[in-house]
Amino acid sequence: MINNKNAPKGLGALLNKNDTIIAILLTLIIAFLWFETTKFEKVPDLFSNNIPPEMFPQILLIIILGMVLIIPFEHLFLKKSGKDIDSSRKKPVEISTIGTMVILSTIIASSQILGAALTIIAVSISLPIYWGERRVKVLISYIIGFPLFVIVLFNIILGVHFEPGLLELIKN
Amino acid sequence: MEDIIKGIGLLLEFQNILLILSGVLIGVLVGALPGLSSPMAIALLIPFTISLDPVAAIAMMAALYCAGTFGGSITAILINAPGAPPAVATALDGYPMAKNGEPGRALGLAAVSSVFGGIFSLIIFIFAAPLLAKLALEFGPAEYFGLAVFALSMLASMSGKSSLRNLISGLVGVLIGTIGIHLTTGVERFTFDIPDLEEGIHFVPVLIGLFAVSELFKQSEKLNAVVERIQAKALRLPTLFELKKLKYTILRSSGIGTFIGILPAEGSTVAAIIGYNEARRWSKDKDNFGKGSPEGIVGPEAANNAAAGGAMVPTLALGIPGSGSTALILAALIMHGFRPGPYLISETPEFVYAIFGAMLIANLGFLFIGLVGAKFFSLVAFIPKKLLWPAVFIFSMIGSYSFASSMFDVWVMLAAGLVGYFMDRHGFSAAPLVMGLILGKLVEESFSQSMIIHDNNFFALLESPVVLLFFVLTFLSLSSPFWTRYFSKK
Repeated sequence: MINNKNAPKGLGALLNKNDTIIAILLTLIIAFLWFETTKFEKVPDLFSNNIPPEMFPQILLIIILGMVLIIPFEHLFLKKSGKDIDSSRKKPVEISTIGTMVILSTIIASSQILGAALTIIAVSISLPIYWGERRVKVLISYIIGFPLFVIVLFNIILGVHFEPGLLELIKN
Repeated sequence: MEDIIKGIGLLLEFQNILLILSGVLIGVLVGALPGLSSPMAIALLIPFTISLDPVAAIAMMAALYCAGTFGGSITAILINAPGAPPAVATALDGYPMAKNGEPGRALGLAAVSSVFGGIFSLIIFIFAAPLLAKLALEFGPAEYFGLAVFALSMLASMSGKSSLRNLISGLVGVLIGTIGIHLTTGVERFTFDIPDLEEGIHFVPVLIGLFAVSELFKQSEKLNAVVERIQAKALRLPTLFELKKLKYTILRSSGIGTFIGILPAEGSTVAAIIGYNEARRWSKDKDNFGKGSPEGIVGPEAANNAAAGGAMVPTLALGIPGSGSTALILAALIMHGFRPGPYLISETPEFVYAIFGAMLIANLGFLFIGLVGAKFFSLVAFIPKKLLWPAVFIFSMIGSYSFASSMFDVWVMLAAGLVGYFMDRHGFSAAPLVMGLILGKLVEESFSQSMIIHDNNFFALLESPVVLLFFVLTFLSLSSPFWTRYFSKK
């Protein structure tokens, strides 16, 4: 029999490390939300029909908390049915994914200054290039063609209001 | 009968037919593109269909839903990459048959069994939905609360890694539904002094974020994945002799699919897997499974398409979504000012039959599209991800923004995308959260009304035999992992 010295023993073997962190995080969020429910405006029983506005969210929070506390031990039951809860999180989040999140958040944050058309162009340029698209002809036709298609379809044909943003400054 | 004719009449306008066919085309396209899914496409479509006539808008979404299920099987068969989760089981025998030099035959078997499964479930739908609605008309708030609790408990058995995490997702969805001004008392809940939260969180940006943006983040991990494609010149319809041999498998799977679809929260993926397993269990040629067995293709295909029709029954008759996609259709109905549930069928039956008609057209439509466009759709899967996903993000942004012309909604979409990505990484599915969000209002309203009626005595709810039945079903549903294990050991 192989003796794995690194294998966790005692309580460590019962708890899944990742799930314990998740359970702690969720418990903190639940505690915060519970605290929020205590700050809801008080309503006389007559108006609330004895069902105060905090009652339903509090019931939900208690049930969710009960389930969250099982999460760190759930891997033991899942193992029995042949499921590996860690399979999708064995590898750390890819740099390309974090980069994508940062790029998209930055673009959305600056979209009110940029305006709709420039935001669409910014997405069309930044993501394909960041993801490694290097075919110049493909990139140029995409960067010109796709935003144009979107603007014609949504702004001109469907009448979706596009904020002009920076373009208005240039126009003036 | 008069209502059925009226309903079909509503569809026969040129614009509506055009929209249904567009829905079919988008559905097959989206289904054929790995990563894109029909719930995602419906979520993206909702904001743009708000200004349309409700019949046209819902008919288009219903058509997209039906066609998307079939579209997923094209890539499952030709590149062994199911375009949509319900096609996972189809790949098990579809891809080997295509590899054996019969891609057209595999596609033909998938198309015909899908059409059969779809039409079978629609026939059941046309009879079952009004009956179920009639029964539900007798329901009071307590019975609705029992039903909603049962529907939430069924989220546990939705596809995904963990029943517990599905339930947590569902309840978090219900909790998100409480954000905003409480209707009974006018008290602000979880608004954190942000004016945009007073109305609550809009469905659309959450749906788009969870289904489209989180998938974009997932796809950014595998941008350079290489897939091997099998050339398919055309779809080849099965011969009558072949169909005769497969008739029992198709019929059995259609029945299984419809039944599973009708169960709240159970979707096409579960139906397809059970359809495949049952086809194998009843087969005389079990050894051929996994090597290109025709039964291994028609079994899951008839089941997953039948589930699509079946899932519309609780959605329209009870206002309880039968699957992730129907949860979105339910959200669209609410946005169009309808109250899904028994009153929808009793007050506007022609509308329900129009949806039925749209799904019927969609079923015939994707057979036609599959016949003429199989080669094209197999190429669609090769659109470079590096260009496709930025486009999806742009549509997501416009869809979230245009719904209420609010940048706050775009932030909600991004936040939902990030949350959805990390949820998926840790085994929490997005679909239960969406269903919880949509069911949330019903759960809280029916709970509050029942408590008022029963003088805050929870146990008085159990005096109603219907509530008791739903609670027993809830208990059975939640304890199913234990008793199924017990019986399988025996």
